[in-house]
Amino acid sequence: MKYISHLDLQRVFTRALRRGAIPVAFSQGFNPQPRLVFAAPLAVGLEGKNEYLDLYLTSCWEKEVLKQVLQEQLPGGLAIKTITFVDLSAEPLSALVEAALYVALFPSFSEQYVLTVADILQAKEIVAVRTGKKERKVDIRPFIYSLKIKNDSGGAQLFMLLAAGSKGGARPEEVLSLFPGGKETAKVFRENIFLRNGETLLTPAGETYEEYLQKVQLSLPA
Amino acid sequence: MRKFDYRALLDKVQKPARYLGKEINAVHKDPDDVQLHIALAFPDLYEVGMSHLGLKILYALSNNIPGVYAERVFAPARDMEELLRAGGLPLFSLETWTPLHAFDLVGFTIQYELCYTAILNMLELGGIPLRSKERKDGNPFIVGGGPGAFNPEPLAPFFDFFVIGDGEEVLPELLKEYQRWKKSGDQQRISFLRRIASIPGIYVPSFYEPLEKDGKFAGIKPLLSGIPSKITKRTVDLEHSFYPEAFPVPYMKVVHDRAMLELFRGCTQGCRFCQAGIIYRPVRNRSIPRLRQLAGNIIARTGFEELSLTSLSSGDYPGIEELVDELKEELEGKDVQLSFPSLRAESSALKLADRVQRNRSGGVTFAPEAGTQRLRNVINKRISREEILGAAAEAISSGRNHVKLYFMIGLPTEKDEDILGIVKLVQDILAIYEKRDKKNRGPFRITVSAATFVPKAHTPFQWEPQIPLKEIRRRQALLKREFRPLRKVDFTWHEAEMSFLEAVFARGDRKLAPVLEKAYRMGSRLDAWSDKFSFSLWKRAFEAEGLDPEYYTEFQPGYDDPLPWDHIDTKVSKEYLIKEHRRAIRGETTGDCRVEGCRGCGIKNCPGMGVDGNLSL
Repeated sequence: MKYISHLDLQRVFTRALRRGAIPVAFSQGFNPQPRLVFAAPLAVGLEGKNEYLDLYLTSCWEKEVLKQVLQEQLPGGLAIKTITFVDLSAEPLSALVEAALYVALFPSFSEQYVLTVADILQAKEIVAVRTGKKERKVDIRPFIYSLKIKNDSGGAQLFMLLAAGSKGGARPEEVLSLFPGGKETAKVFRENIFLRNGETLLTPAGETYEEYLQKVQLSLPA
Repeated sequence: MRKFDYRALLDKVQKPARYLGKEINAVHKDPDDVQLHIALAFPDLYEVGMSHLGLKILYALSNNIPGVYAERVFAPARDMEELLRAGGLPLFSLETWTPLHAFDLVGFTIQYELCYTAILNMLELGGIPLRSKERKDGNPFIVGGGPGAFNPEPLAPFFDFFVIGDGEEVLPELLKEYQRWKKSGDQQRISFLRRIASIPGIYVPSFYEPLEKDGKFAGIKPLLSGIPSKITKRTVDLEHSFYPEAFPVPYMKVVHDRAMLELFRGCTQGCRFCQAGIIYRPVRNRSIPRLRQLAGNIIARTGFEELSLTSLSSGDYPGIEELVDELKEELEGKDVQLSFPSLRAESSALKLADRVQRNRSGGVTFAPEAGTQRLRNVINKRISREEILGAAAEAISSGRNHVKLYFMIGLPTEKDEDILGIVKLVQDILAIYEKRDKKNRGPFRITVSAATFVPKAHTPFQWEPQIPLKEIRRRQALLKREFRPLRKVDFTWHEAEMSFLEAVFARGDRKLAPVLEKAYRMGSRLDAWSDKFSFSLWKRAFEAEGLDPEYYTEFQPGYDDPLPWDHIDTKVSKEYLIKEHRRAIRGETTGDCRVEGCRGCGIKNCPGMGVDGNLSL
């Protein structure tokens, strides 16, 4: 599943909805599109453990039925965890997303990693080069909200809370490339996304970052 | 069966979705239930092969047979190929990552001449000996089908056998025979080939020998008794034949990213350059109720947002407006767009396109093929200048902002004034646009595409040469010069050397096989992708084998001369092709037999003629 681009993933969903005859709502205008909004697009090649999607329907189905019908039509690798009905007036998650937690698993621990984390957090500026239509340099330091490295039975776990959303962000591989051998040896995935709630960041389920981080550290494979 | 985890490769290639498989409707079977394991190989990239209707049909058909498991294999892109070679890994199937050499049967669809080296590449990458006579018991049988099987000789040494014509009935027959052979305990490959050589539509080239007289082709001789001297193509009744309702839905964008509904097979327009029009005769329709049922089921099983109504000339379907209305009703509320692959340049066709299209500002495509009425008559494209301009005018006034025109250069009897006729037509269309009120019109572009004529086997033009390379380039340059000052016109053309090579193989014989292998060994790959094509490589391959490619493009046999594809019977008679060729030279058109009655092409009991009551013209 991770090899599929975001646009392709959207099509996976719209086709699944069509096969399941699920009553998705359409946008107005010249070229109506089915209304589904992903909270935060996931880069190709990256796995996401908890991803979110806002789906607009024209009629209300029972949660369990919707889950079953949609899950039946989704390919393996896309497992629906929960469905929550939300008031129509509520903002879509994509407007509220502020950060994402990425976890990188290194095959072995090194003191160097601890030093690198400290260096990054102390740095005033970290420049990443992004290639697009033209090359541009971006300071990603303000987008690194939190970094924690943990030694876990010989391997290392790096928790990166990075800005995500419309105001720009840092990419996990940009942060990983600052670690010796980071890009080559670490396995990365996105653990969850976080929404801005006043002064704090919460998962869509309502957990704070600190609470969530504790929970994740306990549940990671050794 | 997976010995190597190919997943590690996926991280290292572009567009890993090409090799992922696991699409919705991809078939997975329990190995304990599989007695016959076949690979359906498409000699091009995933995104091209997944757009091919034939593959969808054969995949679903084969997998519906208990005990048979059909998997897909596509040509690897260069980056994947390099990883496979570097790692000593064989080419693998999509569903279970089984190496190609481990299959019982590998079937290739031979679409056109420039995919031949891709076929050889896939065989070698798959660990299969290239030549039929080098294969031993335990190697898979290699079978070829599709349009290329109608002139199979250049590929003959590499294939164990070919299937000629429609595959829906002969494939199950073939697989059943394989199972019987396996059960009999006889391991010898030759026994299997002997068994199938007498199944109608199957051609085993090793049982036939090409003859030569004074250095010229003199016929093909069967080497065994009990096998036909002419292999007649298979034709199925489309209404009652298998059609897939479920086929794998690709994750990535593919060339034709839509579901397909085949309205009919065959075509009665009779364009004289067109091979498909001959090899798919007679015309056989599917009924409206059947199509409606299929449409509903296909969308329910695949979820595609677009359904393409395909055939060689969909506007000719009898009752097409009624069909469209019924399909719209069937698909009401499912957010499905109906579309046509291409329609004849007539205003009725345009109305049809508008009937289905939600969005009218897009493009419209016409294929006049020739720039003057005289030349259009020669090739039997029965459309007048008035009709072309009328259709263009309608397109423009209904808001279309793009007109695409297909032409061919190098057609028989063509002169420079015919080439300039193309320019004149384009200028006239531009004038129609310019006449519109400046305030009411949006942006507008015309794209002109000029392919080079390639004489094809089994057509009235099989006796015609291709114009020399220098001439192709000169005529292309003429068009480029004329179009340069027209800012709203984009001119595209096919690379001259690629068209030249197509022409060599299109009327080729078995002597070309060593050249093909040589070019392959020298590094020729996806020749159809022009940035990978190397003409100098091919020239060296011809030289090395002592053959002159120009012989093949320029020869003009007499009507009585035997041709290297005469042993493949399309059911259309040679007399008819000769008659059509003569009419072409005289500039006389031949009408559509659906409209004007039987033209005597040689097909017996033609269902299109109403002999078979339930299929009407």
